[in-house]
Amino acid sequence: MDAQTQTQTEPVIRKRILIDMDRCVECRSCAAACYYTHGNMPVVGSACSGAALLPVLCRQCKSAACVEACPVEAMIRDDNGVVRRRLFKCIGCGSCARACPFGVLPTPDNPAAGAPAGYRSTDRISGHGMPKCDLCEDRLVEGNGDAVPRCVAACPTGALAFADEHEADQLGLEVLGGRTTGDDPFKRR
Amino acid sequence: MSSDPPSAVSRCTLCPAGCEVEAVRTGPGTWRVDVPREAGRGCCPRGSALVELMTHRRRILYPALRAARGCHATDLNVAMRTILSAASGKGVSILLDGNVPAEQMAKAAAWCRAWDDAAISFVLEPTDEQLLLGTEASGAEYLADEELATCDGFVIVGDAFAANPRCARGVLDRRQENRRTPVVAIDPAAGTAIKFATHHVDVAPGGEADALRAVAKAAGAEVEPPDVDDPSAQTAGRAITDCTRLGVLLAAEYARDADWRQVGYLAGELAEAKGGGVAPQTVGANALAALRVGHAFGARTLAESLADTSRVRVAVGCDPVGITGRGEARAFAAAAALPNATTELAEVILPAAMSSELEGTYLLNQKTITRVSPLLSPPAGVMRPAQVVAALASAAGVARPAPAKLPDLTQRIAPEPPQRSPTPTADGIMLLACRQAARAGSGALTGHSSWLSAAEALPELTVSPEDAAAAGLKHLAPATVTSDGRVVQVRVRVAPELPAGRVVLPEGHPPVRSLIPCRADAPHATQRNPISLEH
Repeated sequence: MDAQTQTQTEPVIRKRILIDMDRCVECRSCAAACYYTHGNMPVVGSACSGAALLPVLCRQCKSAACVEACPVEAMIRDDNGVVRRRLFKCIGCGSCARACPFGVLPTPDNPAAGAPAGYRSTDRISGHGMPKCDLCEDRLVEGNGDAVPRCVAACPTGALAFADEHEADQLGLEVLGGRTTGDDPFKRR
Repeated sequence: MSSDPPSAVSRCTLCPAGCEVEAVRTGPGTWRVDVPREAGRGCCPRGSALVELMTHRRRILYPALRAARGCHATDLNVAMRTILSAASGKGVSILLDGNVPAEQMAKAAAWCRAWDDAAISFVLEPTDEQLLLGTEASGAEYLADEELATCDGFVIVGDAFAANPRCARGVLDRRQENRRTPVVAIDPAAGTAIKFATHHVDVAPGGEADALRAVAKAAGAEVEPPDVDDPSAQTAGRAITDCTRLGVLLAAEYARDADWRQVGYLAGELAEAKGGGVAPQTVGANALAALRVGHAFGARTLAESLADTSRVRVAVGCDPVGITGRGEARAFAAAAALPNATTELAEVILPAAMSSELEGTYLLNQKTITRVSPLLSPPAGVMRPAQVVAALASAAGVARPAPAKLPDLTQRIAPEPPQRSPTPTADGIMLLACRQAARAGSGALTGHSSWLSAAEALPELTVSPEDAAAAGLKHLAPATVTSDGRVVQVRVRVAPELPAGRVVLPEGHPPVRSLIPCRADAPHATQRNPISLEH
């Protein structure tokens, strides 16, 4: 399948969470907001990289390894292009967490967000819970156009933004600059 | 069906920013927190934890008396009689939390004024109290977070970004607008703020006042010459010479051996000389209001109350043992929302409302008078701080006083300018404490946060590469810090920017302050015992 065909058939996500590392003061407000508002099943974590403490956020990959790795099609890309987990289908096997090239989904060896893979929930019908960022769909659906995911809203310094990546330059967002390296935060490997 | 509203919106009052917080009802009597829907307003981990803390399973809900085999529940009248019996012929010293609405402070002070045997003090962090006395004496303007973006240069003393992450926004906005904006950081513990600084003044712990004096002198302010004229301070001072509106952000950190009153005064002098103002990032939103209300009612300082051992102490909503790291600051009775170091030692334990359950006036950002509504109501039977004092006074037979008039919270007090103190020196590895955005004050409240337990089961010990190598410590590995027989388990974080000879722990992790206890009357005179680091 060539790139043109793929863009015609695959829903494309409109807005992403962008991180400006030059504004991150390592307060972990994003991680705490996610933890407290997602029933203690957080999907935003933080990780040490050298002496820096960086937020770990789902990048909503264009070619998502977690979707491909899921043996029961619990991890899907929805009509809005958002990669999400179907609660009733998840068997908590942790395949998605192991497939994630960025270590965003927590595993027993890398509990970045504080909840181990295959976390057996006591208050969910499926009995399993693999935390997965859905960009706080509940508030995006309910809210007007100004609503943003909770981690973005909680960020006190403006390091996190919810915007179209192609408009980052126009919005004056320095997505990855200064203290970090790399030119595409959403690129796989 | 519950008659509770589906949601309630209020402000977090754990730091001067006063961020908006929402409590969303998820079922009968169950709530969860939510953050604002739009970007740009922010809510740090302290605010996000508020709803969980208010509905915490360890919440103190009824009076209790300490007995040989732990505590047992009792009735409020018995608890009050026990306190008054202990205070018979001695008098009562009320230690009221300084981060409650001004009306609560005024009501409690009015009851104590009518009660001959009682004295009251509003409890602030001793370092914050000294810092604010200094800024008040300087007469400098206070700057709100949103005003910081109008400044054309910044001086940051201590890790103000950790004390209030929202104050970083104005600095970073200004820096983004003009990349040449000078940002001078003075922080011996090399906290978050120095990563964003254009000039870092290399200073030993306790040398903050002298470093600030050197910066101010080099910038052209009329101050006394410094003891040590460090080249990095001179360079930093020259960088802000041309500023026409300088913002000085201050965080009075625990156990730094710094004379914070001097720091506050010098910061005000420098800001005034450069047409700007100061932004003290205190623990709690109402610290300056507490200082001004206390001045209006003739309240005692925490140091005076702790020095008076003849009276029976009653701590209401505050944690003097946790704040000072000293068991000598214990109280006979302690009213609190959640267990803390003071309730662990008290003979009588009373339930008390949290500040987010109270309605009243706050002086946000040290300048904006704001009416804050309660996020949730206190649980049944849990008294507000002024009600605790009123109940105790009524039990002692005191007649209800006339309604207390709230003093003008914008009216500055005018303390004497501080005397210059010598810069301390220290040998060996120094254990420092630092502010952390996830923890408030001594951690009496935020220490109960489940997110902190999950995300940071062990507090982080920041250590220089040289000290880590000497002690055999590895980055992110567990270790222990031992001092004077006390042991704290930590996780090591090796930070190349931290000079050798200093190790740093978060001041809001409850056991940390007991390693480096401070004196309430002289917070710059930290009691330092030798420490050892082991992997």
